[in-house]
Amino acid sequence: MRRYFLKKISIYLLTFWVAVTIDWGIPRLMPGDPLQVFLLKFQAQPDAQKYLQAYFYKAFGFNQPLWKQYLYYWDGIFHWNLGVSMFYYPTPVATVIGQHIFYTMGLLVPAIVCAYFVGNRLGAMAARRKVLDNSILPASYLISGTPYQWFAMLLAFFLGALWHLLPESNAFAFGTTPVWTWTFIGNFLEHWILPFLSLFFIMLGGWAIGMRNLIIYELESDYAHWLQMLGSPARLVRRYAYRNAVLPQLTGLALALGTFVAGQIVTEVVFNYQGVGLLFFNAITNSDIFLMQGAFLLVIIGVLVANFAIDIVYVLVDPRTRVSMMGAEG
Amino acid sequence: MTDADAPAGSMKPGSGTAPAGSGPPPVLVHGTAPDPDGMAAQPDAGTESVASVSSPLPGAPKRHRHEFLYFAIRNKKLLVGISVVGFFVLVAIFGPWLTSYAPLATGNTGWHPPSGRHWLGTTYFDEDVFSQVVYGIRASFEVGVLGGCFSVLLGMLIGFTAGYRGGWMDEILNLVTNVVIVIPLFAMLLIIGGYLHQLSLLWEAALIGMFSWPWAARAIRAQTFTLKNREFVGLARLSGESSSKIIWREIAPNMSSYLMLTFILLFGGAILTASFIDFVGLGPQGVVTLGTMMNNAFFWDALDLHIWWWFLPPGAIITCIVGGLYLTNAGLDEVFNPKLRSL
Amino acid sequence: MFARKKKGFLGVAAVVLAGSLVVPLLSIGATASAAPKPHVTLNHTNTVFSSGVMYSPPTIWNPNEQGSFATGTEGFLYETLFLYNPITNLYIPWLAKSGKWTSTTTYVLTLRSGIDWVSDVASGQAVKGTMTGADVVFTIMLAKNDPGIYYSNLAKDVKSATAVGNTVTVTFKHPAAEDWQSFLYQDPILPSSSVYGMGAWTTAELNTDANAAPVGSGPMSLDTANTNSEEVCYRTNPHWGVGAALGLSFKFLHWCDTVNSSNNVELTDFLTGVIDLSNNFLPGIASLIHAASPGGSTYGNISTYYPRPPYMLSANTVWLEPNLSKAPMNNLYFRKAVAEAINESQIVNVDYSNLVTAANPTGLMPSQSSYVDTAAVKQYGFSFNKTLAKADLKKSSYSGQTVTIECPDGWTDWMAAINLMVKDLKTVGIKAEALFPSYATRTSDIEDGTYDFAIDNNASIAADPYNYFYRMFRLPVEKVQSAQDNWERFTGPVATKAWNLVQELNATAMSATSTRQGIFNQLETIELQNLPEIPVWYNGAWAQYSSTNWKNWPHSGTKTDQYTPVMWGGWLGQMTTVLALAQLVHTPKA
Repeated sequence: MRRYFLKKISIYLLTFWVAVTIDWGIPRLMPGDPLQVFLLKFQAQPDAQKYLQAYFYKAFGFNQPLWKQYLYYWDGIFHWNLGVSMFYYPTPVATVIGQHIFYTMGLLVPAIVCAYFVGNRLGAMAARRKVLDNSILPASYLISGTPYQWFAMLLAFFLGALWHLLPESNAFAFGTTPVWTWTFIGNFLEHWILPFLSLFFIMLGGWAIGMRNLIIYELESDYAHWLQMLGSPARLVRRYAYRNAVLPQLTGLALALGTFVAGQIVTEVVFNYQGVGLLFFNAITNSDIFLMQGAFLLVIIGVLVANFAIDIVYVLVDPRTRVSMMGAEG
Repeated sequence: MTDADAPAGSMKPGSGTAPAGSGPPPVLVHGTAPDPDGMAAQPDAGTESVASVSSPLPGAPKRHRHEFLYFAIRNKKLLVGISVVGFFVLVAIFGPWLTSYAPLATGNTGWHPPSGRHWLGTTYFDEDVFSQVVYGIRASFEVGVLGGCFSVLLGMLIGFTAGYRGGWMDEILNLVTNVVIVIPLFAMLLIIGGYLHQLSLLWEAALIGMFSWPWAARAIRAQTFTLKNREFVGLARLSGESSSKIIWREIAPNMSSYLMLTFILLFGGAILTASFIDFVGLGPQGVVTLGTMMNNAFFWDALDLHIWWWFLPPGAIITCIVGGLYLTNAGLDEVFNPKLRSL
Repeated sequence: MFARKKKGFLGVAAVVLAGSLVVPLLSIGATASAAPKPHVTLNHTNTVFSSGVMYSPPTIWNPNEQGSFATGTEGFLYETLFLYNPITNLYIPWLAKSGKWTSTTTYVLTLRSGIDWVSDVASGQAVKGTMTGADVVFTIMLAKNDPGIYYSNLAKDVKSATAVGNTVTVTFKHPAAEDWQSFLYQDPILPSSSVYGMGAWTTAELNTDANAAPVGSGPMSLDTANTNSEEVCYRTNPHWGVGAALGLSFKFLHWCDTVNSSNNVELTDFLTGVIDLSNNFLPGIASLIHAASPGGSTYGNISTYYPRPPYMLSANTVWLEPNLSKAPMNNLYFRKAVAEAINESQIVNVDYSNLVTAANPTGLMPSQSSYVDTAAVKQYGFSFNKTLAKADLKKSSYSGQTVTIECPDGWTDWMAAINLMVKDLKTVGIKAEALFPSYATRTSDIEDGTYDFAIDNNASIAADPYNYFYRMFRLPVEKVQSAQDNWERFTGPVATKAWNLVQELNATAMSATSTRQGIFNQLETIELQNLPEIPVWYNGAWAQYSSTNWKNWPHSGTKTDQYTPVMWGGWLGQMTTVLALAQLVHTPKA
């Protein structure tokens, strides 16, 4: 068990290092002046411009040799100092991300959890009888092939722009402050429901298909046949099959995280929902290197942590692996 | 994990299904990819928990081939999937003959709903939506095919090498695979695209390929492991064939069905990912793709101005094409794997 | 049995959903509770909401950081000595009671009395001190004392500035009428106190400090409690000095300007009544406004300054900017061919749905039409004429190479205009290509001089065309043109002559109108004959109003028609927008 986790951790650390290095290296190795857009904001006369340029180069650390910048960046990560955002100047990147991360979490976590749960149930239902299978399965394939941004636009159009039932943009209305009052919660939920639905529906397609296939496979296995031969009720067999099928679905969760990140980002863009995805998008549109790096770092950390959590849960949940590992150790 | 894995959960293999020492591992759900991390189940087992594609035995008699064809024609999923995708292929090929407008030709009268002159109406700039859709389908197929090819080829290269050579080469490649597989594809593309500022279709496909291969590589490697211990390979080795010849002549053909399935999945995933990149504005300039259509429609207020015929078709078509591809994949899987055929 | 399972399924589903929402909600609450609680709720009865100015979150209120400061820094917080009304072409004494040239190198102005410096809302909007001539002198001398200040060109002109009470005397080294005129209405006066003002600030602070607790003299104070990353909010200042002197006051208690992320979100917010004023270009708005009476009959109470095309006042001239240091742009006949090939009215009609107007060949805006030398335009001016274009192209011995026209990616209206231009050029035989790099790349292309053609609108509305020609002819051309002047890199004997004329203009007294007009005529002729820039259209001063909550917005042909409805930098603090806002009243609910 220990060896298994050590191996996992070392891979994740290596992945982290590779991703962060790529992320850090690209703007500095590309031609062009990383501060140019930022300096343009000051609209200064040439002599004043020179002064400001020198000042900011020093302030952002670009006058240092590359290897020093690299080390400072790692040092910053360990102290959770990700630099200062250019787009949100002078707010630090970590603060900006901190202000927006919970909106993303508020969409992503419920969507994944609910989609997983509902999708698994739907898949199980489909595996049970043909009539359900013939409707749920093709629908699920179609759903899982749907681009997130398009479905988000459909919801925003019909329920927002056309029928004016729900707001089609922003995380909360202007004039309301994010404080812990019922007004704000209501306002927040009103703006939350559409982006949540658009993520939820598409995510559940994949789970439904997977579960359906896994259950079919389980129902074909020896123990299922044996139980049936013994005369067990179909419900009992299905329950065992379901439990066994849940495990591979878990690994599917880890593997699908990347897609969920993509879905989250484009959904936030469509709904102008002020989460980390929109931050990422704004950072790219405005060439804010530090914010880009920070958002990417957050995504990487999130994905790695989620992967690791799933690994732990998986080992805990699957009695076979636990036994085999303990057997291996002993 | 890469976008090639959408639909989430559907193609995930069973994990360490066979307890150690129980003999040849059973056929998994789609008879395809093995344990994603390659080590969860049996840290001690010499072989990975490997799926074997129930591929035809070497020198398979014609009866097997006919068997596949027999089931293929009767498999509803396969038929529907292929017809849908085939329909759009036809549109992509023959579409330009049906339209009399260039996709980016602007008019003077703004947007119009679908009519006899403009089958799908016009955009904010009075461009013909149908023409754009036709050329967009072409571009999407281009990206999908190229992206899928890049991924599969890279996956084959790495998977075969790792599986056949084994040893330290395998360890290193396995490490690389495990690292790349975790990096979220879209975030990586955003960063690279954000710095390059525009990605041509070729670059989009190349970058998608560069980060989607692990999925294919891992499965190919696992298959290679199993197959390389079979008698026919041993025979080939004895008769002095070079490694690369063995790989390409003996092992690969036995995985052809699996490679086809993988390619189809990666094809669909590439189309989806490309639509995300285009929507966010990092797509190619001056080229009409289904993703850029959605981008333009959205940022030019199609929602508030109720120009629904501008953003509805592109997304619907992607849904149909990618859904159709996934359906085809599922159907083919059933054809190749008898265990899945019943319900 | 199935039904029972289903009920359990739904119940568990609901619990799961609620449970997974709890964590993020708690976190939002936790981080938010740390923020100070607002003392009054903002709603449409006491607040006016606007948008269209800020593209990034409000984090800076330092007027020296031109281009980065939040809406309202100039206009609401800090004020200028005079205001300029571009509609009537008159100057309005604002902080200054009066001012005049007593000699060609001396200017004397009298500051109003009773102008208080007031702190922000969190500090209780307390009066910290009174504005005196010393503040004016401090602000002027920053041109010399602060190397990073944005009006550093004044340093070359000013010899000294002294104050006696509220009378300020400025002595110049040489006549500098235009530079000084710009300062009078464009640059806000800063507090010089070392206690509550910027008197003790270091150079670094003057140029980079966020100034998050600003002490200003203007009609509103910063309300940090209601300001967040999406909006900046202000509260009316009960001690507004200029308001008391002129009998002006705001009828609203708060003003919130929201961050504008993209045009389509803005349009949604505007149409759904979330914001009352939009200063953004909203594609399709023309179709939502019905032309009618002077008030502009409306779609859901929407109106603009003009009820009919062009709907908007003009704000700046959009140039097709050739890179004169590269071939074939350096060939005059080539430039002529390009100018004559472009169909301006198509851009105006198709791209902008008539929300803008085509430009005069000189590019001088409608408000400056009195300065246009019509004879020169008749003789040398270009117009859309494909035959002439082809003829000029032949004369230029164009080798057939492809030229690119660029604008930043995402500036969709310019992108669409470029696409139209590319097609126009192709019809006369010029191979052109559109290029939409990022804002950063496009800017570096221009500043480094590696571009072919670009779209630009650096010359905005001003009292006279001095600013316009300054932007066009400024010399010397640096290797990296970081200031937004002479981006087209016009050099040579003719260019030198033009720049000398511009400088001569600065040295000519404002009262010598015929001399000045003579110089302007010469400059226009040089421009028309040499085409260093190709004016295409006038960008609109985008302003859409909704009268659902607040009414009495500026409409032409009414009492409010001399007020500008724009909150942009360069307008809110400099033109008559504050006067427009003082006219607003709450719309009574029917």
